[in-house]
Amino acid sequence: MTSTLVNPLRKGLVSSRITDPCSIVFFGASGDLTKRMLMPALWNLRLADILPEHYGIVGFSRSQFSDDEFRDAMHEAIDEFSRTGPAKDPLWSDFAKHVSYVSGKFDDPASFATLREALERNDRELGTGGNRLFYLSTPPSVFAAIVEQLDAAGLGPRDNKTGWSRIIVEKPFGTDLDSARALQAEVSKVFDEKLIYRIDHYLGKEPVQDIMALRFANVIFEPIWNRRYVDSVQITAAETVGVEQRGGYYDNAGALRDMIQNHVMNLLALVAMEPPVASDADSIRDEKYKVLRAVRPIEANRVTLDAARGQYDAGSIGGKPVPGYREEPDVRPDSNTETYAAVKLWIDNWRWADVPFYLRSGKRLGHKNSEIAIRFRSLPHRLFGEAGDALDNNVLVMKIQPEEGISLRFNAKVPGPKMHIRSVSMDFNYGTGFGVVSAPAYERLIGDAMRGDATLFTRWDAVETAWQIVMPILDRWLNTIDESFPNYSAGSQGPPSSDRMLAMDDREWRKI
Amino acid sequence: MNLESSTVAASLDAIRAELSRTKLSTSTLNFIVWIDDPNRRDWILERAAKLSRKHPSFTLVLDNTGADGGSATVTTCPRDPESHFTVQGEQVRIDASRFGAEALVEYVTALCPSGVPTLLWWSGIRESSRPAFEALLPLSDTLLVDSSGAVRDESALRLVADFHRARPTVVLRDLAWMRLSPWQDMIANFFDNPALLNELYTIRKLYITSGSASEALYLGGWLASRLGWTASGRDAFTDAQGKEISFSRTIDGEIRRVHSICLDSDTSWYHGEVTEDPTVVSIWVEGDHAREVRLFPLPAIDTASLIERAILEQGPDEMFETSLRTVGTLLG
Repeated sequence: MTSTLVNPLRKGLVSSRITDPCSIVFFGASGDLTKRMLMPALWNLRLADILPEHYGIVGFSRSQFSDDEFRDAMHEAIDEFSRTGPAKDPLWSDFAKHVSYVSGKFDDPASFATLREALERNDRELGTGGNRLFYLSTPPSVFAAIVEQLDAAGLGPRDNKTGWSRIIVEKPFGTDLDSARALQAEVSKVFDEKLIYRIDHYLGKEPVQDIMALRFANVIFEPIWNRRYVDSVQITAAETVGVEQRGGYYDNAGALRDMIQNHVMNLLALVAMEPPVASDADSIRDEKYKVLRAVRPIEANRVTLDAARGQYDAGSIGGKPVPGYREEPDVRPDSNTETYAAVKLWIDNWRWADVPFYLRSGKRLGHKNSEIAIRFRSLPHRLFGEAGDALDNNVLVMKIQPEEGISLRFNAKVPGPKMHIRSVSMDFNYGTGFGVVSAPAYERLIGDAMRGDATLFTRWDAVETAWQIVMPILDRWLNTIDESFPNYSAGSQGPPSSDRMLAMDDREWRKI
Repeated sequence: MNLESSTVAASLDAIRAELSRTKLSTSTLNFIVWIDDPNRRDWILERAAKLSRKHPSFTLVLDNTGADGGSATVTTCPRDPESHFTVQGEQVRIDASRFGAEALVEYVTALCPSGVPTLLWWSGIRESSRPAFEALLPLSDTLLVDSSGAVRDESALRLVADFHRARPTVVLRDLAWMRLSPWQDMIANFFDNPALLNELYTIRKLYITSGSASEALYLGGWLASRLGWTASGRDAFTDAQGKEISFSRTIDGEIRRVHSICLDSDTSWYHGEVTEDPTVVSIWVEGDHAREVRLFPLPAIDTASLIERAILEQGPDEMFETSLRTVGTLLG
């Protein structure tokens, strides 16, 4: 950093390149996430000249690969999954020189000794300076073992005398409150909280980051962002895909743990939090934690009223027939796992008292659609409009995927001699608004972790609080069989029980 | 849609009627494009259309090549039925050869939405276009030119330098300069190591091969402005100690591209050269500070991306203007 400040040629130049040299280790490197997301993300960071000048990439998993075989496999993965197309020479050959592989077991000291040798070789030959970023893209069941072995092999921060050691942990962080606390206890023995980067790729999406910009970089929204003007908030994370090859994992997780506890809860925190005192990581995360703490605990006897679950049956998506959940590979034929979860939450603070927050997430729904919809209160007095005109409530929609942007619905006069009112929509789309395509979330988040910027990662106190919020529902659902399963068709809007939950409040879900 | 109208008012009415068939939901800029070079017409239209498709903008192409046959063409982007969002990039192309400067001003003021930045992309090469330029310039917030767009020699850059000297308050962008940012970053990277900083002050020769003169002159002007060199003739600089730095330029290869650079210091040679992949540069150092070959990608150098950057970076660009003044001195 110092060198770039004193180099006179740097004055006025804008460079996104990460300054710290670094080795990044992918645990679970033969897995799907590494192939589809992580390695293409690193390749694109290289293409955009964002990776530091001195970098090394080490894959670690149980599969047997030589360095060259692993490089070939990653080349194929990039060719197939990178947003920028196939990797070409000469840059690929140069990139490949920075990639190596260690075959080993996650609880085997000898494997970690080999890893240590690989990282020290990177320091010597690639100039990575002792900086290490460990990425745990493995099943959560081996997180603790990996951390323990890292420490035992002298790869933890305590033994790193020349650089830094950070760890990225994929979600889910635990499978319930107790397991999350146990995992945290293990990880925090080795890594301080400031060195732990709990990744939630939703937070790396541009529209999610824009929630704060919309709220705190504009003067017009914050005055109405409260119970006086807001009727309700709906947060939706709807997918058209089923469990694909993840049936074994998903059948032990379900929508509540897989989506609501992390992705959707993070969206809730961003949309409901108070303005942070500064834009640094901890100021923002302080406010997210505070608002999650204000979420009213759901009492056990309210779970059936304030939460709804569903499981998809066979149906059709985009005109193509798809199987039901219980017919998916690695799913128990009598599975009680929910593929759809909806929750009504209340935030007990001055800003949000009496404003319901409706959260839902599901698989095999009619459309892929993630959004936050702020529905404003009705007009206090109806001045305009013919008898047949419907005066819709104003709605501000923050679209997260697949479209990325903001839409505001308001009422306008239909041209003509009479005062007919109709609801119209004012739209802003990221791709067209700024002429740039948003980089995939993993590119942003891996780059941030290399820079040491934890703003878009989840802190332990928020993770713990999110588990506390969902535990009453989880306990209830784990201990009661839902005889109605499967209770929604693939390609539909979700189970009727979810609609009834809102109907009890005289409201309805936005169409997915 | 092609609209044939004999008067400005009639054609404005026809254009407005056509535009009203879709609604502009979000607008981020007005983009006025002037063309009078038939050889570059298609190239410019293609890039203007690309930008128009990507941005919710109003693009007004003033085509003075005479190729439009006296008509006005209105292109609107309809709402995509599959998408909730609208991609809005309305474009109106007018045969400017039929109208004088006053009529062009009328088109611009009548059609361009107010309250958003207006960018004028001037690609004119004819002296007869001068009145139009003078009329359109006050209506724009930023003037965008491309001094290596059509010519390999330094003639266009000389005009740009003279213009900036005469009107320093106009917010000016040159695509030829904007294409150089990856090269500037790459050259700076040679000297990020603090141990090599002194090398910067012992540079004695500068060699640049580029497809057109602007790139080499801008890179030389940039280095001079950063390192305190002053131009001494067309092919040399003098540093603060009065020592000469020779500046050798070769025009070769694809126009609008830098192909290689070499900085000779007292002890080492710092090289950068485009590889067989035109988006990748290999760099290496010979001599006392020898370093083996490394590769640098050259991201985002397509014209549409550069225009986007010109839109997003508002206000004067101090580094560009300082370098341009040095180039002006170099050209004499």
